[in-house]
Amino acid sequence: MKKVIVIGLDGFEPKIAEAMMARGELPNLQKVREQGGYSRLGTTYSAQTPVAWSTYSTGTNPGGHGIFDFLSRDPKTYLPVMALSRYEQKNAFVLPKVVNMRRGTPFWDLLSARDVPSTILRVPCAYPPDPVKGRMLSGVGVPDLRGGFGTPTFYSTRKDLHADQSEKVVAVRVENDRVATQVIGPRDPKTKSDHKFDIHIQIVRAENKIVITSQGQPDKLEVQLGKWSKWLKVKFKVGMMQSVAGIVRFNLRQIEPEFELYASPVNFETEEPLFPISHPKEYAHELAMKIGRYYTAGMAEDHDGLNLNRFDEATYLEQCRIVMRERRRMMEFELGRFERGYFYCLYDTPDRLAHMFWRFREAEHPSNRHHGYNAEYANAIEEHYRECDAVVGEAMKAVDDETLFIVLSDHGMNSFQRGLNLNTWLYENGFLALKPGVQPGESGDFFENVDWDNTKAFALGLGCIFLNLKGREANGILNAEQAEQTREGILKGLSGLVDAERGAVAVRSVSRREQVYSGPYVDEAPDLLVNFSEGYRVSWDTPLGGVPRGLFTDNHKRWGGDHVIDPALVPGVLFMNRKFRADSPSLVDLAPTILNVFGVPKNAEMEGSDLLS
Amino acid sequence: MNILVLNFPGAERAALFSDERLENLRRLMDMGCFGALAASGEWNVLARQQNHTLTLMEYFQQADKLCVDTSDPLTLREKLSVGDWDYLQYTAASFPAGNWSADDYLRLDHDLGEALQELSDDTVILILGRDCFVLVSANNPISGEYAGGAAADIAPTLVQLAGFPLPSVTEGRSWVQGMELNDSSGLTADEQQILRDRLSGLGYV
Repeated sequence: MKKVIVIGLDGFEPKIAEAMMARGELPNLQKVREQGGYSRLGTTYSAQTPVAWSTYSTGTNPGGHGIFDFLSRDPKTYLPVMALSRYEQKNAFVLPKVVNMRRGTPFWDLLSARDVPSTILRVPCAYPPDPVKGRMLSGVGVPDLRGGFGTPTFYSTRKDLHADQSEKVVAVRVENDRVATQVIGPRDPKTKSDHKFDIHIQIVRAENKIVITSQGQPDKLEVQLGKWSKWLKVKFKVGMMQSVAGIVRFNLRQIEPEFELYASPVNFETEEPLFPISHPKEYAHELAMKIGRYYTAGMAEDHDGLNLNRFDEATYLEQCRIVMRERRRMMEFELGRFERGYFYCLYDTPDRLAHMFWRFREAEHPSNRHHGYNAEYANAIEEHYRECDAVVGEAMKAVDDETLFIVLSDHGMNSFQRGLNLNTWLYENGFLALKPGVQPGESGDFFENVDWDNTKAFALGLGCIFLNLKGREANGILNAEQAEQTREGILKGLSGLVDAERGAVAVRSVSRREQVYSGPYVDEAPDLLVNFSEGYRVSWDTPLGGVPRGLFTDNHKRWGGDHVIDPALVPGVLFMNRKFRADSPSLVDLAPTILNVFGVPKNAEMEGSDLLS
Repeated sequence: MNILVLNFPGAERAALFSDERLENLRRLMDMGCFGALAASGEWNVLARQQNHTLTLMEYFQQADKLCVDTSDPLTLREKLSVGDWDYLQYTAASFPAGNWSADDYLRLDHDLGEALQELSDDTVILILGRDCFVLVSANNPISGEYAGGAAADIAPTLVQLAGFPLPSVTEGRSWVQGMELNDSSGLTADEQQILRDRLSGLGYV
């Protein structure tokens, strides 16, 4: 064989897919299954996109690539930090450099060394991109222009609006059907204010639209009521001498009685991205010239706009379709010129869509009490899976007798009805201390009011517990022996924890890191991992280090599905057009399988084995 | 504070300040101040005392500073990478004396970029062209275009930014005389806000 084509469907849930296949609703995937086979695919501890795809890339467990969660903590400050990449600046006079925190050796490095080319579109945790032979476009990990995963802006004439976490709210005034305002760009580290780009909005009431005039491209952009606009290229002057370009889309929510406009997070522009997002550097722009502008941010889907109620489900679905369309154009263009080697394209949308529509599968989901239940969306995920199946059908056109064709997901998806306040549990059980006089509920994000001199363990991220170890954490208090006692105590107390209100087991088990990880980066892993039951997750207050009141809380957000539970409960899917060993394959097996197609031996670190042998 | 002077006597202001491709230079211009220099006096002369001309170099030598004067790019590179200098003055000899091509300016920016990699935050950087300057220092209270400066003002300004006392009489006048210097730690932004920005939009949190 001389080609391997891999289509990634992030978060594609086997239970839903299997039921649909049984009903004949996924004909293309069914065809692949009949040609070769299908199996559930073992995921990683923990079952998260960056962790799982890094294991796919390197063929090692997370101990071999160093990505354990979206978040980690800085032992010097106890503050949560982004775990996927880091910005390093040698001194104040040079630009910071992005450093990928995924380590280990991705299998395409081995292919490159043997002259086998790769085309890799949107692989997570390759920011900055790997210098592959061929082409690579970075995926999850690429920030927006403000440096985060995505900060949208909401313009409104309403006076009572306040910005929630991860958005900007701009109060505007309509005068003679005109609005003068600005697109919000990156923060200036010196002045701490935001760089802005002027836009002038003309309201055309008769046609239910606005026209945005600016110095950007195009100079006049039409936005229809309720519709997503095309891309606007904007430029922020970040000094007298320098500027930074970005692209932004709008959605006009309302003209009257109030004027309301949503602006997407400002994505990197491909011609002059702030940091490299492709290899070769020019590739991202070459692609844009062929297929048009596209979302470059790792998190392309505007889930926050929906979560914060800035727009509705239908608008989110429409935006997801735009993302899918852009991705599909990328895939089709590249498959059209793909002759040999490794091809990969990831569709993130099945994951981002299911997070937001899972609640409609469960009428009793607590989120529905707050946001209403709409039976129309009960099958939204299935409908999207059909779209994914069509994408698979399109990719199959490039498959010939000499092609190994693989469709897989990194993890599944499940319900998120109840959240556990992990730090509050640690507090109630004597593992975490608050400053004198402070009660749970009086300690906000970033471990506010935590008494580190008396704290043995703390939780952050999506189910990680770290020990306050002497010599490792800034105010560490535990010696090795006490650390082990603490771990034992937490493990015993938390395993099998029952949610009294529901009479259900919320935590199935707790894993010690050395039980589930091996390799050079285990030292960086959380000391304990919490494996939740179906329907549970860490609460919204936990990931950034909050200690709220009470152990369990209902999940009231529209984000009603999740997958950061016991990895055994959320495997992914694996389809191949060749018969393969279906005895519990897992993500580590893909690298050796793909390498072997090209006769390239796996390296010593790779733990899996060729599924075709 | 260390002082680094990069002197390109053939570079002209008109080209140096207008070429958008000179990324490193433009970043420095935004960080500090820049402008035209009237030709009166010599940039490296701090004071004239009876029969003696006190140069910047001599001044820092008298203050027991490690001083380097070179026009050799290899020496510059080596000194920067080893870091054994307090005052380093480099006059680019590998560039034409005049009539620079566009490529010469790009090369200047490239060399500048390499030099910047080796510096520590507490460095005063002066870039000199034939008729202009760029001056960057964390404590420099002047930003943007600075008009009315003369070559003779450079030496006393550098001495003050570097935190040394001025001789009683100087050839030019220090631009920062009587001004309060910036707190050099002011460059770092509010950590928690940056953190919130970085985690913004993750969805899971």
